[in-house]
Amino acid sequence: MSVLRPLHVDDLFRFNNINLDVWTETYDLGFYLQYLATWPDLCYVQAAPSGRLMGYVMGNAGREGTSSDWHGHVTALTIAPEYRRLGLARSLTTLLELVADAVYTGAFVDLFVRCQNQVAIDMYEGMGYSVWRRIREYYGSLGRGREGRDEEDAFDMRKPLSRDPSRHSVRSNGRDVIVDQA
Amino acid sequence: MERQIRAVYDALDNGSNKTAIAACQKILKKQPKHELTKTLLALALVRSQKVEEALSHCDEVLAAKPTNDAVLTAMIHVLRGLGRQKDIVSMFEEASKQIPDSEELATQTFLANIRVQNFKAAQQIAGRMHKQFQEDRYIYWHVLSAILQASEPSTSSDMRVLLFKLAHRLITASPTPPYVNADRFHLHLVILRELGLFDEARTLLESEVGKSICAASLACNEVRRDIWRAHGLFEEEGQKAEARITQQNDRNWLEFLSVIDAALLQVESKPEPDEAEKADRSARLTKTRQLFTKLAEDDGLKDRSAALALVELEKRANFYDLSSDPHGLIDVMKHYFELFGDKACCFEDLKPYVSLLEGDDLPQWTAFLQSSIDVSIDNSNVLRKLINAQKLLRYNTPELTLPEESARATQYTQQYLESLIHGSGLPATELQPADDLAILAASSFISIWQLSNDEKHLYNAAALLEFALTKSKQAFQMRLLLVRIYRLLGAPSAALDHYRAMQIKQVQHDTLSHFLISRSSTFSLAASGDLTYHTECIESSQIYISNLQDTGEYIARAFTGEKYSQIPEFILFEDRLEYSLQRDLVKVEDLRIRLTHEPISSDLIDMELIELKFSLDRLHYDNRDFDILANYQPRISASTNDQTLLFGKPEGRGWLTTFLKIYTRAFQQASDLDDTVEEKLLIGDRPKQSSPDAKIPLKDRLHHHLEKDLVELTTDELSFLKYCSTLADWLEPYHDYARPPPAVVLAEAAKLTQAKTGQPLKGVDLPPKNGTAATNGSSKKDEEPPAVVAPPTDLAQFFDDMKARFEAVKAEPSPTMALHVASLTQEACLFFLVESLRFKNPSAVKTNKLGALTQQLKPIRTAALNALRDISASLIKLAETEGTAERRKIFVDGCSPIINSNIDHDFVLNVAKKVTDSRKKVLDGYGKGMARLITTSSK
Ligand SMILES: CC(C)(COP(=O)(O)OP(=O)(O)OC[C@H]1O[C@@H](n2cnc3c(N)ncnc32)[C@H](O)[C@@H]1OP(=O)(O)O)[C@@H](O)C(=O)NCCC(=O)NCCS
Repeated sequence: MSVLRPLHVDDLFRFNNINLDVWTETYDLGFYLQYLATWPDLCYVQAAPSGRLMGYVMGNAGREGTSSDWHGHVTALTIAPEYRRLGLARSLTTLLELVADAVYTGAFVDLFVRCQNQVAIDMYEGMGYSVWRRIREYYGSLGRGREGRDEEDAFDMRKPLSRDPSRHSVRSNGRDVIVDQA
Repeated sequence: MERQIRAVYDALDNGSNKTAIAACQKILKKQPKHELTKTLLALALVRSQKVEEALSHCDEVLAAKPTNDAVLTAMIHVLRGLGRQKDIVSMFEEASKQIPDSEELATQTFLANIRVQNFKAAQQIAGRMHKQFQEDRYIYWHVLSAILQASEPSTSSDMRVLLFKLAHRLITASPTPPYVNADRFHLHLVILRELGLFDEARTLLESEVGKSICAASLACNEVRRDIWRAHGLFEEEGQKAEARITQQNDRNWLEFLSVIDAALLQVESKPEPDEAEKADRSARLTKTRQLFTKLAEDDGLKDRSAALALVELEKRANFYDLSSDPHGLIDVMKHYFELFGDKACCFEDLKPYVSLLEGDDLPQWTAFLQSSIDVSIDNSNVLRKLINAQKLLRYNTPELTLPEESARATQYTQQYLESLIHGSGLPATELQPADDLAILAASSFISIWQLSNDEKHLYNAAALLEFALTKSKQAFQMRLLLVRIYRLLGAPSAALDHYRAMQIKQVQHDTLSHFLISRSSTFSLAASGDLTYHTECIESSQIYISNLQDTGEYIARAFTGEKYSQIPEFILFEDRLEYSLQRDLVKVEDLRIRLTHEPISSDLIDMELIELKFSLDRLHYDNRDFDILANYQPRISASTNDQTLLFGKPEGRGWLTTFLKIYTRAFQQASDLDDTVEEKLLIGDRPKQSSPDAKIPLKDRLHHHLEKDLVELTTDELSFLKYCSTLADWLEPYHDYARPPPAVVLAEAAKLTQAKTGQPLKGVDLPPKNGTAATNGSSKKDEEPPAVVAPPTDLAQFFDDMKARFEAVKAEPSPTMALHVASLTQEACLFFLVESLRFKNPSAVKTNKLGALTQQLKPIRTAALNALRDISASLIKLAETEGTAERRKIFVDGCSPIINSNIDHDFVLNVAKKVTDSRKKVLDGYGKGMARLITTSSK
């Protein structure tokens, strides 16, 4: 039970309960402003009836390199610790997929996730995403942690939308396709 | 030439401003009029903080009315660097006039006006642009500028309607249908909502495009919902919502509220229903109940919306006296708890309903919750349920007594320790499920401290939270609470460590830095050279610079990208940061800190004075986040936030206004800058004067302090205020007499500028060389100096009183209060230095015949220094008793409740060491810093 609404820029004054969490990065102002000034329809929050923020997603839409395919991208998805396991991440992602499909006519939605973030990977797999490739040292700036390679590499995960009925954005050996960061 | 210019750009890009300056000067030697070089030179100078020199080049370029693209672009940066947004506007206006066919210049002019919030001018420009360039988007720029203008506080309500009507006319006349994109559609809806044009809105919304836009755009759907409700179409909205819920599986809470509103709507409109009406109502209620019950069954544990909607429905039914079942509410609440009691947010979900339970429902509710507490904690689901039950019970505690609260603290602690096992397998990045029990225990200890006034209960809270943090490294809630507790305990370095561990960044500084910086001059050791808090102040203020640079940029991008829905929000956001209360609180706190470290000079006073006056004229936005601090206190009690405020006093607008006034008054007396001089010397634009008080003459404002402001001050701050006013009242006539006249001050400033830049100061005519005005900072006066009267006895007395206050509080176990008194006494002494600076200059004293005054100042100065000397010695002595085994023992002994619950003795001892070491450090540092200040100020 939560209110699903657009992310407003003044939510930045109230997202501390979400962003003080370790997995959630607080970016500079330009980052949020750029997303809102470009893809306001791909940025939403879930709020409690009291108004307290519970979580948010920020996404974008664009074209991959030279390919002509549009696709949606989940840039940040995070739920405050006390509101986890309520299906909020699922509903935020579902709406983003809908808009990526209907408004941006994307062929698929993709996202990057730390290879070590098992909770998130399982969740995405449960939602129909699969690993498309592994990107070396995507989170490299954080240095090699205890968990070694998994901490700095990222999986690029994809989920096909209605314009990809033959599922070109799915491949079974995605985990073995390893690329360097562009 | 091109190569040379490229080199300048490269140097600028690399941040080698010196190289850029040299390269420009070389070019200008050969081509002294080269416009772009001059502009780039100005830019390099601005970036090297050589403002005066930059100014003269900048003004020359402006005077030549540039139209060249590269020059204009570079000038934007120069002018922004100088804070002269208004000149950017006029520069583009001029350029656009010269090349009226340039769409780019027109766009820039439009955006520059938006940047300075001159929406009226922007509107006119957009109107012209549409006529001239025939682009649809300019209609929307025109429309949005009109709406922005309408929304300004200064716009009258009649004007507001007119502007919206204009916007409506424009948008309906627009050649393409307005819904080619969601943001245009949104703008159209906003206008229709404002003007109450329901039929038109309906046609728009029920068109195929309208429907599909609303299906994918939350923003449009939001306005649509507003419009529907504003027109009383609750019934229809309820049906729509029901369809969304049942057919599209929408679980947005707003849809459930719409269903409930529709069910109970006519209740309010007809307070005295007839029988038929009554029957109808109860039928609706039953129908809705059935709908939600069915949904709740289907959703099961997957989604809690329907189950909570049942609770909300019963609450309203009770409220309107519709329910036939007197226990309806408690039944659905219990049911909700049974289903979702193991979700962390259950407490928050049910909290709003708990206070509605009455009569025999209350004991029943308590007993019900109790059964979830008297259990063996077998797994983490049971644990979460227990935590929710504890929170709900605590929230409803009818009365707080010491023995009961102590028993609760013990129970929470024990349950916490027992349940740690359920999180033992989690990775270090996860929070522990038992965390909230530790916070509950800490909350309980805080309440006991408040009831008993015995600080040892805070030791228990601190040590327990420290322990819990070793188990749950990311528990920021605990860190926030520890920051508060350590400040109360006078252990600031311990607080600082936790604050830093949270890695507060970017915009979070605005909302969270109050935890650290509020009244932090109390703990600042800047006088002895430790600039920690000053550095924190600077760091937390970076966000305001980013705001000025970035937000405007993205407002412009939102226009070019046609994301109209964002623009009013971005503009407000920019204002909220620019005029942030926390920003100015930090500024004042930093000034208080720096005064103990920097030599007090007229330069410092002049610079700060201008800033202080700007702050006083501002209407502030309070963006600070206090809700972030977990509050599990009973509803009859103060919140954790209020309980743990330093000195038990909030710090807000009242505190800020009072301190701004105190500082402005003293600095204004000490300064030679009066308003006319300031106007001439001011470089950037004058900020918006948004405070309603800005209309009252400053002089009058400075003399008055409002009761509503003063409640935010501690007793000692009030004494300090009284001292400052007395001092200022006494010295005012002498300052006013001795202050050199504006012409002399300006001439002096002009001389300095000329010496520095080789250029005269713009707008200032130097008096003839052999004129009458002397330039040694004084001038012949016609009137006699005011008779020197003895200072009010209150002034010297203040220092004696503060000494006595210090003696009275120094034995308190926490040194916080002693430091508060000490720091205010020191601040009072610094104020004395500020106020008497002018009279330290022998030639000024002589010319103004104020020799008698210097004699009168001496005894106060002596009293001030004596007080400081005593307090300083006393602080250093107190420091010696801290950090000792004896003090640690007191702390550890105080922690017997948690040690008895099995928190390791040695662990507690380590916390004790941390606290007492921190106390020692701050006492010693403060005492020594004071001693240093005494030495420098007795010179
Ligand atoms: C990952 C995260 C976004 C999940 O949010 P959430 O709202 O709790 O997720 P949902 O409740 O929508 O869960 C959807 C499904 O994901 C799976 N899932 C989510 N969290 C899980 C967990 N901790 N353990 C096991 N499965 C989990 C479940 O299958 C769940 O469905 P179910 O509850 O019906 O079984 C949240 O944990 C989070 O914010 N983490 C920190 C930030 C982060 O890692 N973001 C992702 C990086 S790209």
